[in-house]
Amino acid sequence: MDLNYTPEDLAYRAKVRAWFEANTPKHELKTWEERLAWHRKLYEAGFVGMGWPKAYGGQEARPMEQAIVAEEMARVDAPGPVNGLGIGFIGPTLIHHGTEAQKQRYIKKILTAEEIWCQLYSEPNAGSDLASLRTSAVRDGDHFIVNGQKVWTSSGLRAHLGILLARTDNTVRKHEGISYFILDMKSPGVEVRPLRQITGGAEFAEVFMTNVKVPAENLIGELNKGWHLAQTTLGYERGGNILARVTSFKARFYRLVEVCHTLKRNGRPAIEDPLVRSKLARIWTETENLRYTGLRILSKLERGEKLGPESSVDKLNYTEMHVRHEELIMEILGMYGQVDKGLPPELKLKEDAEAHTAGTWTYDYLYAKASTIYAGSSQIQKNIIGERVLGLPREVRADRQAIAAAAAQKKQG
Amino acid sequence: MYFGFNDEQLGIRDAARDFFANECPTPVLRQIIEQPSGYSEGMWRKMAEIGLQGLPFPEEYGGQGLGFVELALVLEEMGRAAVPSPYFATVVLAGSAIMAGGTDDQKARYLPGIANGELKATLAFIEDDINYTPSGVQLKAERNGDGWTLTGRKQFVPFAHAADLIIVPARTGEAEEAITLFVVEQGSAGLSMEALTELDLTNRDYRLTFDGVRVAGDRVLGAVDRGWPALEVALRHAAVGACAEMLGAARRCLEMSVEYAKVREQFNQPIGLFQAIKHMAAEMLVDVENAHAATYYAAWAQGATEEEAKMGAAVAKATVSEGCRTVANKSLQLHGGIGFTWDHDLHFFMKRIYHNGPKYGDPDAWRAQALEQALASAEAMAVA
Repeated sequence: MDLNYTPEDLAYRAKVRAWFEANTPKHELKTWEERLAWHRKLYEAGFVGMGWPKAYGGQEARPMEQAIVAEEMARVDAPGPVNGLGIGFIGPTLIHHGTEAQKQRYIKKILTAEEIWCQLYSEPNAGSDLASLRTSAVRDGDHFIVNGQKVWTSSGLRAHLGILLARTDNTVRKHEGISYFILDMKSPGVEVRPLRQITGGAEFAEVFMTNVKVPAENLIGELNKGWHLAQTTLGYERGGNILARVTSFKARFYRLVEVCHTLKRNGRPAIEDPLVRSKLARIWTETENLRYTGLRILSKLERGEKLGPESSVDKLNYTEMHVRHEELIMEILGMYGQVDKGLPPELKLKEDAEAHTAGTWTYDYLYAKASTIYAGSSQIQKNIIGERVLGLPREVRADRQAIAAAAAQKKQG
Repeated sequence: MYFGFNDEQLGIRDAARDFFANECPTPVLRQIIEQPSGYSEGMWRKMAEIGLQGLPFPEEYGGQGLGFVELALVLEEMGRAAVPSPYFATVVLAGSAIMAGGTDDQKARYLPGIANGELKATLAFIEDDINYTPSGVQLKAERNGDGWTLTGRKQFVPFAHAADLIIVPARTGEAEEAITLFVVEQGSAGLSMEALTELDLTNRDYRLTFDGVRVAGDRVLGAVDRGWPALEVALRHAAVGACAEMLGAARRCLEMSVEYAKVREQFNQPIGLFQAIKHMAAEMLVDVENAHAATYYAAWAQGATEEEAKMGAAVAKATVSEGCRTVANKSLQLHGGIGFTWDHDLHFFMKRIYHNGPKYGDPDAWRAQALEQALASAEAMAVA
């Protein structure tokens, strides 16, 4: 047990800090072009795809180095790179499961963000039960013909390419008939519509596919093995977010404290109100506790250990905590917390944030609520923890019963 | 950076787990708590034989020279078995005060006896006003020739009846931190103690009355008026040690709950099949994992900078006390009626958590302290 950073880590941190202090844009990046230019700067400095193999343009950086960079970025509130899904898992999936031709064609442009990727997974009737997806891909000569609808596609409006889960055999049990494809988002028959969220913004899209021709060489891995590919988390970028989220939670906490010096409660600064202080104290201690759990996970990753289903414990923990803290922030701010436009600068979360965007109290309050829904809802995480970590008996579910009944019937017949 | 245990540490943990599983299974625990002393002298001697009492003290004083992480591992196992013992009072409370406040001569006088099991000790900190800041110490010590006379009252002193030595912080001046630590012997004239029967029977707390107790001048631990810093260290150690015990007890509550959910059948199926039960167990694991991270971060931090030691202890005591109490409550709910019976063992582990929660500073107090520290460092950052 040694929670000190090594001298090498400290030296690396100093170098990274100096770079971000010198290079981080002084104002909010308003346009996509500005964001792309910043991405390229990060890429050239070696801060994009840090965990990727060197052979594919990465740095093979240790989880700790990734964590340090992410932490230092959060510290100065530096904008992140674009193409997060591509860098986070689509690229690594292609490196492991793609053909040589696919690797040559796609991988480098993921890191440079010359091609933006999106993920075509969820459907209106396939959320938590993703394997029940209905989008179909039917073989037709050297193509597949794809029909269906996807939803909650982040970056859907900008993406050049998508990674698509579609059903290629509906005569077998649902997990066994799914394949994994690369979809060119400019293909005829692909229609992308923005999906406006409760925050007012539209970072997601709905994607409609009507008789879309997908070349057979765009299949990733084996036919009908797509579910298993999608289930293996292949991220190289694993150290990154664990401590960065703590740093950004802390940045928000410090801003809240500043605001509490201006905000009044019963004629006195809110910061002097014992009830406000009690809430601030809870936010602080729980955030600090999250840092300790993050260090523990990071230390496992540093030793090359796999996280497995216990990453569900982490996801459940930090998302539920985030939601609780946003509730406390709203309790402290009262009606001021609900003002999206027209809030005095001294009460704002970020001075130059616009209405309906990240950096306003309202947006963060609402967006936190998405975190306990996306990437496996809290309830799904609890099932995983209960069954795969604690070893409680697996649920008797209608879909499993139907499979068992069908198998029994087949045996009889 | 490594947030895990090395082979030696895992060996200590496993040895402690085996020892208490053998020496203090719940049938034995039930017998011990029925006795007036509330602990087993035989177990105390065996603990000394395997070196538990000397674990955190330097080898020159007969100890093992290990750190707070190793101590926390042993305390976690004691919590897991809800061991009734003057160990915490002797090693964590008195031992930390002597290590932090005693002169070399005093360490040489007391620590070897603690390490070999001959001496038991405790610390009488709290008074009627449960207040862990310097102003909480109001018991008066007045000069009397070469020595001192102590007058006043102490509360919630663990295993005071068993202690050969009682370390007593007393007020020796007007300044807020003018506090001196005295080593008072069991049986001193004018010292009386009254047992408190509390919810957790694996602990024994006493109310001590000092009615002109005379203490020799050489029984001042460290220097006159300089007792607060050592007391602060002892309090921090107590808070983190209490967390380790709660963590062990919470793990036991969770393990018992998972086992029960697998075998208890209602509506023709194990109750663990119901999401209502499964999700409760998953939430308990989240609290246990948070408690683990907070406890061992804090245990490590006790050997790091003072700032980290303070913040680590404060965050741990606040979050572990609440998290483990929630685990205890859910474990009872999960067990249902059987868990509410005296004959079922669950309540011993629940009550150990309930006992440690407010002791050595309640979560609100520690959270407030963590906030003060965070705000002060934010200001320092703003100035720099």
